[in-house]
Amino acid sequence: MIDHLVFVLQLLITGIAVGSVYALMSLGFVLIFKASSVVNFGPGELVLFGAYVSWATILQMHLPLYIAFPLTLVTSIALGLIIERGVLRPLIGESIISVIMVTFGFASVIRGVLNMVWGSDTRPFPALFSSEPFHLGPVPVSPVHLWSFVIALLLLGTFSLFFKYSLTGMAMRATADNQQVALSLGISVKGIFALSWGIATVVSTLGGIILASVRGGVDFSLADLGLKVFPVVILGGLDSVMGAIVGGVLIGVLENLSGGYLDPVFGGGVKEVAPFVILVLILMVRPYGLFGKVGIERV
Amino acid sequence: MTCGGFRVRYRDDERIFDTHLPMAGLMCLLCILGAIPFYASTYWLDVLNRIGIAIIGAIGLNILIGFTGQISIGHAAFLAVGAYTTAVLEARLGLPFYLAIPAAALVTASFGLLFGLPSLRLKGLYLAIATLAAHFITTYVIIHWEGMTGGVLGLQVPAPMLFGLALDSDARIFYVIFACVFPAAFFAKNLFRTKVGRAFIAIRDREVAAQVIGVSLFTHKLLAFSISSFYAGIAGGLMAHHSRILFSDAFTLLVAIDYLAMIIIGGMGSILGSIFGAIFMTLLPEILKLAATSLSGVYPQSFGLIASSRDVIFGLAIITFLIFEPAGLARIWSRVHTYWRLWPYAY
Amino acid sequence: MYRKSLVYVCSLVLTLVGFGMLRPAVQAQGIIKLGNLVDLTGPTSDQGKDISQGRIDAVQYLNQQGGINGKKLELVSVEYGFQPPRAVAAYKKFVEEDKVLLVLGYGTPDTEALRPYITKDKIPYLSGSYSGHLTDPRQTPYNFPGGIDYSSQIRIFLNYVKETWTDSSRKPRVAFIYADNAYGRAPIEAGRAYAKDLGLELVDEQIIPTVLTDATSQLLNMKKKTPDFAYINTNTQWVPVVLKDSLKLGLKTTYVVNNYGFDERTPSLAGDAAEDVIGIADVAFWGDDVPGMKTLMDFHKEYHPNDTHNAPYMRGWLWVMVAAEALKRSGDDLTGEGVKKALESLRDFDTWGLSQPFTYTAEDHRPTTKSKLYIIKGGKLVPTRDVEVPRNPAWLGK
Repeated sequence: MIDHLVFVLQLLITGIAVGSVYALMSLGFVLIFKASSVVNFGPGELVLFGAYVSWATILQMHLPLYIAFPLTLVTSIALGLIIERGVLRPLIGESIISVIMVTFGFASVIRGVLNMVWGSDTRPFPALFSSEPFHLGPVPVSPVHLWSFVIALLLLGTFSLFFKYSLTGMAMRATADNQQVALSLGISVKGIFALSWGIATVVSTLGGIILASVRGGVDFSLADLGLKVFPVVILGGLDSVMGAIVGGVLIGVLENLSGGYLDPVFGGGVKEVAPFVILVLILMVRPYGLFGKVGIERV
Repeated sequence: MTCGGFRVRYRDDERIFDTHLPMAGLMCLLCILGAIPFYASTYWLDVLNRIGIAIIGAIGLNILIGFTGQISIGHAAFLAVGAYTTAVLEARLGLPFYLAIPAAALVTASFGLLFGLPSLRLKGLYLAIATLAAHFITTYVIIHWEGMTGGVLGLQVPAPMLFGLALDSDARIFYVIFACVFPAAFFAKNLFRTKVGRAFIAIRDREVAAQVIGVSLFTHKLLAFSISSFYAGIAGGLMAHHSRILFSDAFTLLVAIDYLAMIIIGGMGSILGSIFGAIFMTLLPEILKLAATSLSGVYPQSFGLIASSRDVIFGLAIITFLIFEPAGLARIWSRVHTYWRLWPYAY
Repeated sequence: MYRKSLVYVCSLVLTLVGFGMLRPAVQAQGIIKLGNLVDLTGPTSDQGKDISQGRIDAVQYLNQQGGINGKKLELVSVEYGFQPPRAVAAYKKFVEEDKVLLVLGYGTPDTEALRPYITKDKIPYLSGSYSGHLTDPRQTPYNFPGGIDYSSQIRIFLNYVKETWTDSSRKPRVAFIYADNAYGRAPIEAGRAYAKDLGLELVDEQIIPTVLTDATSQLLNMKKKTPDFAYINTNTQWVPVVLKDSLKLGLKTTYVVNNYGFDERTPSLAGDAAEDVIGIADVAFWGDDVPGMKTLMDFHKEYHPNDTHNAPYMRGWLWVMVAAEALKRSGDDLTGEGVKKALESLRDFDTWGLSQPFTYTAEDHRPTTKSKLYIIKGGKLVPTRDVEVPRNPAWLGK
């Protein structure tokens, strides 16, 4: 009985840990959607970019951490601005399928450029966190996972406060609500878009660093995890920061529980498909997710 | 050369071919296509076969997204269902290919119906995400239902037999594929002259208004999904016979994105656009491959760099088209066509 | 604005097409063409990059040495993103337009997809896939795996378990952890059968996805069965995840990894978790003291000193060398059949020490059944023993 309890506890805690990584990736998605109603179908590639740039600054250029880290963040902000300016601005007002496709497009470009510059072999990622697990009761947790959970919570707190109380945050919410009115109030909509993409790429970079640390190395398969963002944001609500964090953790937990219990029954692989089954169920029952704003369709 | 239209009957308005020239052009095209397998190399026949399959798939997707406005990223899943069902029907039930492919397409159509159900409740982005989930769930089932699909070890497809002749070479499959392409294109073109087709377009343009004038959303959305998946089923079945062995690797999300790119670059809401898009997206990697191979013949060390530029070029193609010509190749074509139609009396 | 950009796009397309036409017009007598299939953008691009580089370098080196019997080698390279339809299209081009004599293949799906074609066209296919299903010339006469096959490797693992097990009070418990794809599953049947033959207890099999980030739930389930040894059959990128999660969960299992899952990078990717992990090596590692290593390292220094190289690079060289030897032996009979016969004439062919000596026969397409086991101690790969399984004809094709 105790063994069983430990088993469940282990799955739960791993789920929370893994889920907080998903939460970080999804946060980027939510921020973009919240500010500009743009759906980013390439979240994985932004994470990949962050992982590769941080690897390059630390291991390839041998810069000390206190230079490498800010440099990585600056680069990702630059990427965000380039995407917003070069690719999304011309497409303001186009149909949603065009916007979705253009995000696939630049995801492809990012991937290709990274491949051309650094090649596709796996590079070991510097150990930024110790690998000695510490124990939460009977359950071992690796420091990386703990850090990702802490960072996710910190970001949740920061962004919640930001959107609620700061002027810029309110401006972002206003823009997401109604661009024309926001413009008429003097809010620079272009600036808001740029800002949202900049923040989103920074968050994705953090996610990338964490993910690479978990894996131990950077390679192109990091991007494939990006698709897990969708079950998370659907569960949590496409425009809710709280939803991204809670949704991420929930999906992580559900994934691990189904892996632990259903894999032996179905012979493996359930863990990968479970989040998508959950996604479909949520869409049928409550499409706007746990915390999302219910959209009202006007004729 | 036509100068404006002078039509006295409604039937004339609805004609697919206004004048005799396009009809003659089409006949020429058919003759050329009929003769090609005797002269072309297997490699180019393979490319043409893939273009043919892509055309059918792209038309199907365009019916759903371009004409009915329902976003679907699950097209690869439908192709997979069509392909595997055809293979299973032939390998296990021994059906001949001219029965197996339509039967598989019907199965895929009902599958499409199933996955179209969310479209009744969801719109736009949410529908796109639901179809994304459908894709992963389908891929999971294909990989793990090993009894039926051979799982990860692949499924052999028996060669199609017609009057005792095995159609197992690219040249022979070419005829089968293009025998499907032309009816598929005409059916689709015709569909949008009918009430059903116009209902689809109405749903795309303004769903609520369509409902108000009496278009049943339920019936027509599901019908759109079914017809689109039927096309995907046919394309999948032809794919199965073309490649003769099926792996789940051939039906990844990238394939679905490829098809989306086809209809966007080609032009949404246009049958001709689907054809152009299919040709473009199939030829682009081939041209890149030729460039990579020949450049690496001269500079061997550059191969890695050029080969990995494929993703960049693909992405840039999509972005460029979306920024500069969102209505796609079809619009470019119609501009060129209009210019020359009245040349030199453009005004 | 619209017209200008249209002009640019058109000219770009025309330039690309122009390059495509710019193929070396010489289909002359003096060139032997080899097809090169590689994945640089798909799930195995990690291995693909070095494999491709190794092949290109080896061909360049051989040409610098004067080629084969006075003829230059040319590599016709195609990147196929691990999508079988693209591999099939590339193959058709290899055969029809480039008239290659041999194809340097790559992964399990493309090798499987091309089996009927190469048999019909009689083109030898030297594959990066070492699947046991490719070793029986009666079923796959033109397939030549480029290294010790996966089924032999899993048997090596089971032999190792039997030999090192000292507790006589019970049978050792073994488990298999493998990737959910054709390559991962290839040796499992053979492994099950052999475990039964040896009287070992196969207590668990865990499936991990192709792209792995977290193996906790799988390992937790495996922990319940307390296996003493486990065999990991997936690629180098993902083995560290299993190892690290295993260390974290406190599993007391000894791990043995297959050749594609274990190389110089494993210690740095897995950190402490790599300690005491054993790997089956099919090629020498970068910097090993073997005759061929100096040639490789000199070439590397001259052409791309800033790149890093790992086991896949050695594999690329190795396969080209084997192909080159076969081409040399076939002399004037430069046809697919001739090259096949030449390959089947290799007996203990010395590959500059880059791998075990290669022997292909007309009845047995297993290049070798010998290997070296390496153990990771203190972050370094230490050779620990030489192992071998017999060339049992009953195991052909399994």
